[in-house]
Amino acid sequence: MTDASTSTASTSTHTVPTAALPPSDSDVPPGTEDRRPTVRPRGRQLRAKVGSVLKHAGLIAFGFVMLYPLLWMVASSFKPNALIFREPGLIPTDIDLSNYTDGWNALLHPFSHYLINSAIVVLGSVLGNLISCSLAAYAFARLEFKGKRLWFAVMLMSIMLPIHVVIVPQYVLFSQLEWINTFLPLIVPKLLATDAFFIFLMVQFFRGIPRELDEAATLDGASHLRIYLQLMLPLSMPALATTAIFTFIWTWNDFFSQLIFLTRPEMYTVPIALRTFVDSTGNSSWGSLFAMSIVSLIPVFIAFLFGQKYLVKGIATTGIK
Amino acid sequence: MSTTGNGLRTRRGKRLAGSAAGIAVMALTLAACGGGDSGIGGGGDDDPPAAAEECPCEIRFSWWGSDTRHESTQQIIDAFEAENPDITVVPDFTDWDGYWDKLATSVAAGDTPDVITQEERYISDYSTKSVLADLSALDIDTSKVDEGVLAGGQIEGAQYGIPTGINAYALVADPEIFADAGVDVPDDTTWTWEDYVTTANAISKGAGDGVWGAQDYGFNEAGLNVMARQRGESLFTPEGELGVSEQTIADFFQVSLDLMKGGGQPDAARTVEYQAAGPEGGLLGTNQGAMGVWWTNQLGALSDSSGHELELLRLPGESEGERTGMYYKPAMFYSISADTEYPESSAKFVDFLLNSEEAAKIMLTDRGLPANTEVRESILGDLSPTDQKVADFMADIEDEIVDTPPVPPHGSADLADIMERVNTEVLFERITPDEAAAQLIEEVNAAIAD
Amino acid sequence: MVRAPVQLRGGEHVSVIQELSQSKKTVSPRKKGDGRWALFFLAPWFVGLVLITAGPMGASLYLSFTDYDLLSAPEWVGFENYTRMFDDPRFVNSLGVTFTYVFVSVPLQLAAALGLALLLDKGMRGLAIYRSVYYLPSLLGGSVAIAILWRQIFGADGLVNQVLALFGIEGQGWVSHPDYALGTLMALNVWTFGAPMVIFLAGLRQIPAMYYEAASIDGASKFRQFRSVTLPLLTPIIFFNLVLQLIEAFQSFTRAFVVSGGNGGPSDSTLLYTLYLYLKGFGSLDMGYASAMAWFLLLIIGGMTVVNFLASKYWVFYDD
Repeated sequence: MTDASTSTASTSTHTVPTAALPPSDSDVPPGTEDRRPTVRPRGRQLRAKVGSVLKHAGLIAFGFVMLYPLLWMVASSFKPNALIFREPGLIPTDIDLSNYTDGWNALLHPFSHYLINSAIVVLGSVLGNLISCSLAAYAFARLEFKGKRLWFAVMLMSIMLPIHVVIVPQYVLFSQLEWINTFLPLIVPKLLATDAFFIFLMVQFFRGIPRELDEAATLDGASHLRIYLQLMLPLSMPALATTAIFTFIWTWNDFFSQLIFLTRPEMYTVPIALRTFVDSTGNSSWGSLFAMSIVSLIPVFIAFLFGQKYLVKGIATTGIK
Repeated sequence: MSTTGNGLRTRRGKRLAGSAAGIAVMALTLAACGGGDSGIGGGGDDDPPAAAEECPCEIRFSWWGSDTRHESTQQIIDAFEAENPDITVVPDFTDWDGYWDKLATSVAAGDTPDVITQEERYISDYSTKSVLADLSALDIDTSKVDEGVLAGGQIEGAQYGIPTGINAYALVADPEIFADAGVDVPDDTTWTWEDYVTTANAISKGAGDGVWGAQDYGFNEAGLNVMARQRGESLFTPEGELGVSEQTIADFFQVSLDLMKGGGQPDAARTVEYQAAGPEGGLLGTNQGAMGVWWTNQLGALSDSSGHELELLRLPGESEGERTGMYYKPAMFYSISADTEYPESSAKFVDFLLNSEEAAKIMLTDRGLPANTEVRESILGDLSPTDQKVADFMADIEDEIVDTPPVPPHGSADLADIMERVNTEVLFERITPDEAAAQLIEEVNAAIAD
Repeated sequence: MVRAPVQLRGGEHVSVIQELSQSKKTVSPRKKGDGRWALFFLAPWFVGLVLITAGPMGASLYLSFTDYDLLSAPEWVGFENYTRMFDDPRFVNSLGVTFTYVFVSVPLQLAAALGLALLLDKGMRGLAIYRSVYYLPSLLGGSVAIAILWRQIFGADGLVNQVLALFGIEGQGWVSHPDYALGTLMALNVWTFGAPMVIFLAGLRQIPAMYYEAASIDGASKFRQFRSVTLPLLTPIIFFNLVLQLIEAFQSFTRAFVVSGGNGGPSDSTLLYTLYLYLKGFGSLDMGYASAMAWFLLLIIGGMTVVNFLASKYWVFYDD
């Protein structure tokens, strides 16, 4: 067993029916290839190598297809505004950084202002979703209570209505609470687990954790709160990481509710700021739009790079086997 | 704050209290629906606000546009605040699409901005639902605005919006491509719709592959309106009904079909693509076409992206029909909320926007060529060469313009979408121009009914 | 209960898993009724439901029975909005467009996501980079830039046609042709398979290694392991992705809005349900009708989800 399991499930380790488990002899992640250390004959090895090269070539080619639009956007962000549509090739004939400097300063506040606003909303939302959705998910996954199915259905129903018809009543509600033009309408709902997507996600993950673990803990006298905190959460890193990453990205990109609830320019967030570069009725600053889109992609990409480490820290690698 | 009260009760309550409170909140929201100011639908059905105004006060000014407009408008606001230290103007801006969603939502919640930028498509909706104040009752000097232009913001005798400036729907030509194709730029005072088709076809032939004579004009109802006016009709009548004949609509679509068949404009799929790409990505902007019909305020964007010196021409057929069809379109309107707490301060601000030379020197032609003719004169020297060209063109056609079309009726906001859809069907030859005419009339009538 | 897939598949190698799972079942079942704890864990969600979700939802239900233009008070019209829908050809068309979109692009997207997740799960060089690269498109979200990017690929002079031209095939403007525009929109949806892929990846990591080891000891081939361990234990996550992607695809809005320039064109070929609903509500200021459409959509999605849950009994396997 690795440290993770002993620290996370300290109350239960000794009661887990370890006898039933096969001995764990290595810390190697359970990729199926790694798990079968058979010696291969030479010819097979070569074939495997060729296969691996082919696989990488395929993955890279596919990656290019996936990335082409993004590459185009990067290329365009270095072109003068006038050339973006006239010379739409991938390689700019003329590198120009002014889109970045212009875009950064084009609006009433420097672009960093909007990045910070977005960061506040995003962090609040991530925190809110992680806590509130995992709490609710624990109840749905592990507790027996009256009307569980009904409440579960109600929860799912709440994400089946398009936002466009609830946003007006929501605006009325929030304006009576005097929350308009603050970040509260964007963050408080997340603290109150209104993102049913993540509740359902975590329910599915919690249900994948063998029940013996928490039953053992219960026999050991652990309360539900303790099981939730010390067993479920540490064992659900992939689900929590997924929730954090998605909440980050979706909130970062969410345009409509931020547009409606934030009315003052000093409260504007990145998606609203980006829209103001383009005006379908008059002049548009496409170059600035692309440049600032790239800039605003960076934090999300970093969040993803950072978060994906935790995606793979599943139960499989934490030693509960 | 009764909502919070409900929330507290919920948290303290037991078992069923939850759902009861849910119903209570719902009831509360619903009660607000029927009510006045604070709830859904809080339009302007209340009494006018008291006359006495206490300042220092804060008014909110909403507009749409892109970064350049936001920057210049902020400068104008600063200038206004310097002159009126007790009035603070809070900016509220976004892009075109987001603007209308946001405005409708805030009106629904009784949170209407004090000074609102309006447009032809929606001003009828907002004024007939008494969201907008009658500006003639307020202290705004409109004496320097041309009567005909001013009428563009009048509905049933009330001045719901004051035009910010004027644009015209004109033909933009690229003389370089004309020259490449070996075709002369036509005389726009005499050319007919037939000349337009033959010219475009000739350019396509002369200029070679990948360059066309003209970009399709069928997506914009303004072209239809001009053609209708040339025939003594009008897209909408002053009574708010459709005023264009089925024959005119069919002819309108026939022109673009003739162009496509004669090679004067690209095939249907390309046409739709260029249409979606806006001025920058269209035929003129990418040096792939010699002509296109655009609003005069878009000349700047077109010239910048094409890199060519573009020219403005009158639309074809101006001397062909029984009268001229071109007109000044109010670029946008300044309106004031019927519910504003500060009608006087709002009026003062609108007056500043409209009549101050200082404001005009910052704004230049960003909201159209200024509606105030005196102010317009004063900025002529400051205009960029492109804007100068627009100003000259507008002056040239001034005497030929017969009148300003009436404000489109309530529900006409759908017209743009209908045009786009019907024209696409025509281009892909799924319907004939005659069928298109019938379909357009039916759909527009349904949209403006009630 | 590991029993379910085991019984389905049989075979000697499964016996260990069977043993394992039976030995695990030694602990007595939990006693029923954790009402108080449930109240504790659900408290935030419950408050949110009552305060933030229920009110606006109820209000929209009420508004669906009214004539409401956002600018003046709503007027009760009974079921008129609901009956009006079926005489509205654009509504019927948008239903068709949406069903095509959902039932073609969701399975394709999920298949791509699952396939790549399986490929990228194994110990391999540069895994993190591939994963990130494949996820990148999904980061773009509903950026306005998407519309232009998509034209660069599927336009008349776009990348696809340039490639086709190499083979001597003359393509056309896919993105702007009424017959193909929906196809490009579906391609866009498949292209952003990053979200379900990440969830699959996380799910793969949640499969306890003991099952693989047990199967391995039993000498099961890799394919057998996939069939009898990976796949069954991944079914809850597959199920989740299926349910949620269906719910989301039915409400798909932003991409269609951005790519079509806001009107579902060319000629309504990409007029997804929610896009039409939005155009009605905010464009034509007919929020009563839009609300009715929303509640009708809720019925469709709800029905689909119920069917999904009922069917899940036959193929989704939970280890609890």
